[in-house]
Amino acid sequence: MIAVTVTGARLKFLEYRNTIYMTEPMLNKSRGPARPGFSIVLLLLAGLTVPFLAALPCSAQDWIRTGTGLGVDKVRIAVPDFKPSTSDPKNPDLLKVFNDTLFNDLDNAGIFDLVSKSFYPLDVPGNPSEVHFDAWSNPPVTASMLVFGDLGITGGNVTVHGWLFDVKNTASPQVLGKQYNDQATTDAARTIAHRFANEIIFRLGGGITGIAESKIYFVSERSGHKEIWVMDYDGANQHAVTNLGTISLSPRISPDGSRLAFSALTKTSWEIKMFSIELNRLVSFPAFGGTNLSPSWTPDGSKLAFSSSRGGDPNIYTVDAAGANLHRLTSGKGPDVSPTWNRKTGSQLAFVSGRTGLPQVYTMEGDGTNIQRVTDQGYAVSPSWSPNGQFLALAWFRKYGPGAPGANDIYLMDIASKQWVQLTHDGGRNDFPSWSPDGRHIVFQSSRSGSEQIWTMLADGTKIQQLTFSGRNSQPNWSWK
Amino acid sequence: MAPDTEIFFEHAALGKPLAWSTGLHVGFVAFLVLSAWILPGHRGDGWGAGGGGEAMGVALVSNIPLPSTQIQTQNVLANDSKGLTKSQPQQVEKEPDAIPIQDKETKNKKKPVVSASKQAKPEPEPETNEVPYGQGGPVSGPYGTFNENGAKGGFGFTGGGGDFGTRFGWYVQVVQRKVSENWLKYEIDPRIQTANRVYVVFDITRSGQPSNVQVEQSSGVPSLDQSAVRAIQRIDTFGPLPPDYSGSKVSVEFWFDYKR
Repeated sequence: MIAVTVTGARLKFLEYRNTIYMTEPMLNKSRGPARPGFSIVLLLLAGLTVPFLAALPCSAQDWIRTGTGLGVDKVRIAVPDFKPSTSDPKNPDLLKVFNDTLFNDLDNAGIFDLVSKSFYPLDVPGNPSEVHFDAWSNPPVTASMLVFGDLGITGGNVTVHGWLFDVKNTASPQVLGKQYNDQATTDAARTIAHRFANEIIFRLGGGITGIAESKIYFVSERSGHKEIWVMDYDGANQHAVTNLGTISLSPRISPDGSRLAFSALTKTSWEIKMFSIELNRLVSFPAFGGTNLSPSWTPDGSKLAFSSSRGGDPNIYTVDAAGANLHRLTSGKGPDVSPTWNRKTGSQLAFVSGRTGLPQVYTMEGDGTNIQRVTDQGYAVSPSWSPNGQFLALAWFRKYGPGAPGANDIYLMDIASKQWVQLTHDGGRNDFPSWSPDGRHIVFQSSRSGSEQIWTMLADGTKIQQLTFSGRNSQPNWSWK
Repeated sequence: MAPDTEIFFEHAALGKPLAWSTGLHVGFVAFLVLSAWILPGHRGDGWGAGGGGEAMGVALVSNIPLPSTQIQTQNVLANDSKGLTKSQPQQVEKEPDAIPIQDKETKNKKKPVVSASKQAKPEPEPETNEVPYGQGGPVSGPYGTFNENGAKGGFGFTGGGGDFGTRFGWYVQVVQRKVSENWLKYEIDPRIQTANRVYVVFDITRSGQPSNVQVEQSSGVPSLDQSAVRAIQRIDTFGPLPPDYSGSKVSVEFWFDYKR
């Protein structure tokens, strides 16, 4: 056992040197006839290594050596239009929906550098045998990944074959190969495109599932009352969820997506309401008295935190998902509102408190202990905890007061270090940030277009997109998956 | 006498207040000038200046799970745009077929014989490793390394299947990106300007979880070693290993170069 380890160590050392040399940019990029000495050294090293390799017993273990400072770039990916595989007359309609959806999903993922379609070669592959690797891996495309496939309708059913190829690895290029079957409708084509995009993002994005099938819940006034609406993550398919004819605010979908908690104005007061997405109706939830606002689910879906003024000042309370076991977490002077759970651990809360005057964001443990202030000045509201537990997104007036510069913008704060970064700039009032399940996107409400609408951006503040256009829409909440 | 005296008196009465007045005026002007000079009043400094004394430092939060280019390129002439042009070999124009004029005596000029040694000069082989405009600079990820020569490159391997790096280059890139994203540089002692490379080894299980994180070679800076180990431990999953891969785990050696 020890002997093997020693051999392994020696071998590793050799390889290790090999590795370091090989990552020298000069050697790799401009290896030419001018450097024969180096090549010989390498050959010698390789020659030394190979016998060792052959002599090693099969330990069925692979090694990867890599490091920082190599330049982390977005994956350059080419997504040519899928080809029709049958001659059905409905093919072009579905292909258009499918291709647009797939391209947008990958473009929105935030981890890809999509090659513009105008660079693509003229003969686009429809199946693996038609791929010309050089055409895709060389300039002008210079893609490292290629997504291609075909779509065909036969007898009312649509079949999609999709492949993801690593075009710089001609020996074993296939990363993913998928086949989908569904009814030949545009909705189905969209869903298939979303699923396939999610698979690609899952593989190339490090095990984080894509958000192509996630939903965004929001408050819309377009029917005359403030009701809860829902849409796909890209703004498609908008429709109303509730129809109460009163004022409904702060929708929060449960982690499993089965229930929606929100606050609504009843005849007597503001109460937490519970809507079952599966049953498509309100389910019973107790009324606590006073003003009850902004519910927030724990990541396991077992508890809700919300603010209630049943005891006087608004304080943070927790309650079971069924409405039992009410506990008060905060006390004392000043309102405490807008709780949000740490989405990774489920054991801490962030909330907004006005105990020192202007509202500031605080964190505390799930039992109400260890209250710490995280914002130092201004007017900070609407915290939202990131899925990896590391960041708070919040709406913040850094300088609040008459004539103060700046506006209500979305900020990101690293909780451990208290470092923050401003995400939105110069664009009206921005409020109510909410994280996407992959932690790469943030949806928020902004008045930059003139009226309150829902917008999304990548979590570094780039790629800002407007999702809603009609009526006034506010308070978005991104589903958990 | 009396009038004279009176006049003299008036002169005397005017001179003293005049001196006082001049002195005070000069003093006031001097005060204004000095106060503007010395006292740091509001001179528009407040506009856009960064906040009260308790402001926390603005630092770009680097580890949003989004890729960010750490090193664009070291070549000052290169930029982001991928070059499109490729130098083409010069076209040799064929001479037009000349029709010999009949009435002129054509001398048979001997064509110069091309010597064998000249003819045998081989065409230079086209380089396969040329770098298009704008794509120079440091090696980026596995593709830069084993694009051309198979297994050689930044990713060594030992043992059994042994070809993970070549077959699943995309997975290697995922690992690299993910670890880089999760490395929080603020955990490192702020006094450290630069440090030796720290090597960390870990396994990736079939389902994609990192395990057995160890420092293989320390940098000599404990906080840097710690931050490197934590960067790995912070990761829940790299995503399941490729389904085509038969092994039960992959071992990774990851190095961290730190420079402030």
